[in-house]
Amino acid sequence: MFNKGFPQDKQVTYAGMLWLLAAQLVVMAPLAFYLPVWILPVLLFSAAWRIRVMKGHLEQPGIIIKLFVAVLGIAALSISGLKLISLDMMASLLMLGFAYKTLEVIQRRDAMVVLLTGFLLIGVSFLYSQSILSALYGVFALIVLAGTMIAIQQSKSHSILATLRSASLMVLLCLPLMLVFFIFSPRFSPLWTIPLEASQGKTGISDSMTPGDIAKLSKSDELAFTVTFEGELPKQNELYWRGLVLQYFDGKTWTPFSNKLEFSDIKRQLKISRSELKKRLVKKGYGKKYEVIYEKTAQPWLFALSPVVDIRGNAFFTTDFRIIAERNILEPMMMTVVSYPETLRDVILPDSTRQLALQLPPEGNNKSRKLAKELLKQSSSKQEYINTILNRYTQQDFYYTLRPPVLGERDTIDKFLFKSKKGFCAHYAGSFVFMMRAAGIPARIVTGYQGGTLNEKGKFLSIRQYDAHAWTEIWLENQGWIRIDPTASVAPDRVEKNLEAAVEKEGSFLEGKVFSMAKYKWLNSLKNKLDSTQYAWRRFVLSYDNETQKSLLKRLFGEITVHKIATVVGAFFVVIILFWSIFLGLGRKSAKEAQEHQIYRRFCALLAKHGVSREPSQTPQAFSQYASQQLPQLAGDINAFSQLYSELCYNPEKQSNSRENNSQNIKALKVLLKTIKKKL
Amino acid sequence: MTTQLLQEVNSSLKQLNQIILGKEQQVKLALTCILASGHLLVEDLPGMGKTTLAHALAKVLGLDYKRVQFTSDLLPADLIGAAVFDAKNSSFTFHPGPVFSSIFLADELNRATPKAQSALLEAMEEGQVSVDGKTYPLPSPFFVIATQNPQSQSGTFPLPESQLDRFMFRLSLGYPDPKVEREILKGGRGRVAIDQIEQVLSRDSLLQIQSLVPQVKISETLLDYVQRLIAQTRQDDLCQLGLSPRGALALMKSSQCWALIHGRTHVLPEDVQAVFVAVVGHRIVGKKETQGNQLARHVLQSVDSVGSRVIAA
Repeated sequence: MFNKGFPQDKQVTYAGMLWLLAAQLVVMAPLAFYLPVWILPVLLFSAAWRIRVMKGHLEQPGIIIKLFVAVLGIAALSISGLKLISLDMMASLLMLGFAYKTLEVIQRRDAMVVLLTGFLLIGVSFLYSQSILSALYGVFALIVLAGTMIAIQQSKSHSILATLRSASLMVLLCLPLMLVFFIFSPRFSPLWTIPLEASQGKTGISDSMTPGDIAKLSKSDELAFTVTFEGELPKQNELYWRGLVLQYFDGKTWTPFSNKLEFSDIKRQLKISRSELKKRLVKKGYGKKYEVIYEKTAQPWLFALSPVVDIRGNAFFTTDFRIIAERNILEPMMMTVVSYPETLRDVILPDSTRQLALQLPPEGNNKSRKLAKELLKQSSSKQEYINTILNRYTQQDFYYTLRPPVLGERDTIDKFLFKSKKGFCAHYAGSFVFMMRAAGIPARIVTGYQGGTLNEKGKFLSIRQYDAHAWTEIWLENQGWIRIDPTASVAPDRVEKNLEAAVEKEGSFLEGKVFSMAKYKWLNSLKNKLDSTQYAWRRFVLSYDNETQKSLLKRLFGEITVHKIATVVGAFFVVIILFWSIFLGLGRKSAKEAQEHQIYRRFCALLAKHGVSREPSQTPQAFSQYASQQLPQLAGDINAFSQLYSELCYNPEKQSNSRENNSQNIKALKVLLKTIKKKL
Repeated sequence: MTTQLLQEVNSSLKQLNQIILGKEQQVKLALTCILASGHLLVEDLPGMGKTTLAHALAKVLGLDYKRVQFTSDLLPADLIGAAVFDAKNSSFTFHPGPVFSSIFLADELNRATPKAQSALLEAMEEGQVSVDGKTYPLPSPFFVIATQNPQSQSGTFPLPESQLDRFMFRLSLGYPDPKVEREILKGGRGRVAIDQIEQVLSRDSLLQIQSLVPQVKISETLLDYVQRLIAQTRQDDLCQLGLSPRGALALMKSSQCWALIHGRTHVLPEDVQAVFVAVVGHRIVGKKETQGNQLARHVLQSVDSVGSRVIAA
């Protein structure tokens, strides 16, 4: 009965097991959105199994069953369609192990293994989503894990709320440390890129345009990027966020090049240095400086007012006056950009570019070609021809609609211009460029976003997927490339206001998205607030990278040296530790027991070291008897010591008032303890 | 305590043990309860020797005792007496009931209705009885020794907490161990019939011992321990109702008495532990299935018996 330690004390209790299960569910829930969802039932199954075992209904599974179950799980993973070497596979494997481990949790250290894996999985979930909500959820999961850590250490169960409260306190106490790590820890660019593509579909504008694509985007109110202007905001109809230039037309689809190119090839073909770029521009008008935070798209395209003359961020300039990110955007990325919208571009047009800008498929759309020739003949100048074409859109019964009729595989331009006359930006831009090229005017399609919604509170523009747009650029003598948006002739509202205004009558705005907040006007102020919170989150947390860190540290502490940063961080650590020790009362002197009790406890500790430990309820005399039996060679000393202690404690006559007498007794007690110590 | 008194106590214990075989601890506790001026409740299954113990105690103490078998139709007047019209004097005279005795044996207390049970309340607590607005003092000393069947038995009215609290000890005898049982079955070598018991403890000695009990010294360290125990009954996760101050007083007093009959002048933790379950078992209520004596034992085991007398930093 008086053995040292209790084996049952090291085991996880039933309540602890339930806590563990809850924590596992909490940790795995967000990952289930991105990874095979059947791992959740695996967890429930193994937890139910374990609980049945705990209740004694089942036997603890043997090694063969465990092996079988493990092979089953891995087999299921291998047929679940995940790439072998990918983040998804690694995370799923981790989740599977995490779920299975429940089956084996018997002792506290097993539970600790599960918990530590849980902390890792919280980190993994941030690889998939970094929104403010997932961050808050992460904190919640942290608290639950901390609570579980408390719960599995308890032999008796405490109320859930009390445990959660102390867990929250633990997490709260760690907050300053977390901030210091966030601000100061060095941010290395990744040594390798995580293969994310499998589940992370590309979003946003694609690198080709078939009539219909942009209509799909117009059904989404997801954020594409946010912009904060330094100084005055440009007018709404000047907000053309240029992203992709589509040069090649195969009769149906517009693409950047005649064939599909790898990103490295695109980069080699398009990238130009800043000085080369300057040579192709005639700077004019005013400059606009703005900060953009691009959302995750898994594509490298960046959207900016054209032409960009200066960027701060990980991107390069191209021959067609765009900027492209060096890597696919897998997390919100911040850039500071300077544009000069009125600058002339390519006043002298290189031949290669001209060729590309005049390309047409050898045959098809003959009606349109004929019309172009006729109209060109009638026009006295190119400008007049352009105006004639644009006027056709306004004068004839062309409609702007998000529900255009299907145009089929061949002669799509003809069908649109002469028959259906219903379409949206892609149809108008496509047909316009066709008509230009047919008349020998260099022209190309530009896709990107147009407009944006100003958040009055945060003074920033949000550009959403439904702002996606396609327009054209044509090249004219002495003017270089100029932007023409044929859609503006048909549906001025699309450009002056936004898509919603343009299709107000049709009612097709965000069709099929019942729960989109953008649809409901009365929710606007709430939505604005949410947006600006999310903007702040992206601006200050997610886009805190190496560059921002450097500039912040420079602003705070002047020139950065290793010594200085080390000193500052060290100082923070000291302050935090001081705060903790004050808060947790570590510095406070704990109430002390009277000296005789302290000596008695030392006596107990001494005997416990030799395998004779005292039960709390054992009285000094009872323990003395027990100890004398266990250590017969010391019986006399133990007895004498216990006798004196007992007398000192319980015999009021022995407890004399004189201090001298008292200290003598204490001394005697100490001497007795020393002799026991020597003899042991 | 003088050696003579101690001897008297010891020989009365000896006498009792000859009647109740193999239950030394319970017998000693029962006597302690009486010596500490407390009422005693013996709870056990029928046929375990409850009544015998109560009977023998009364005999050994040599006090006048009356016994009432409680039944469900027992009325308060059957216990405390009633005023009867006396034709001679044409007035009511009070005829005292069986409760007017030094030891009142309430056999199978929980078979009576709550009304009859509560008639005992005043008697036990105040040492007096009120009938028709008049108060009659009970003889001194006055003890109630009650026996009861476990509440799960049919035909019982459970005693309310308030009434249980008035009993200093609750004891149960339990089955005898095999060796003793064999002895009993044989017809009891050395087992003495109850009527052969002689009075050992005189009334004077009893009163003297009762007056000595409060003089047994209690050290600060011991008080710390008792307070820790009391606190534990109120804080423990398994406890719903903790020990009342009356219960705590009973614990202290009976510990002193236990120390006294062991010839000590001060109380040791052992003394507290010896009486703890008997004092606390029927007074605390648990939250879960751990109840009564088992709960009291749990509390006892989870409290450190040494230490404290804290010096504030």
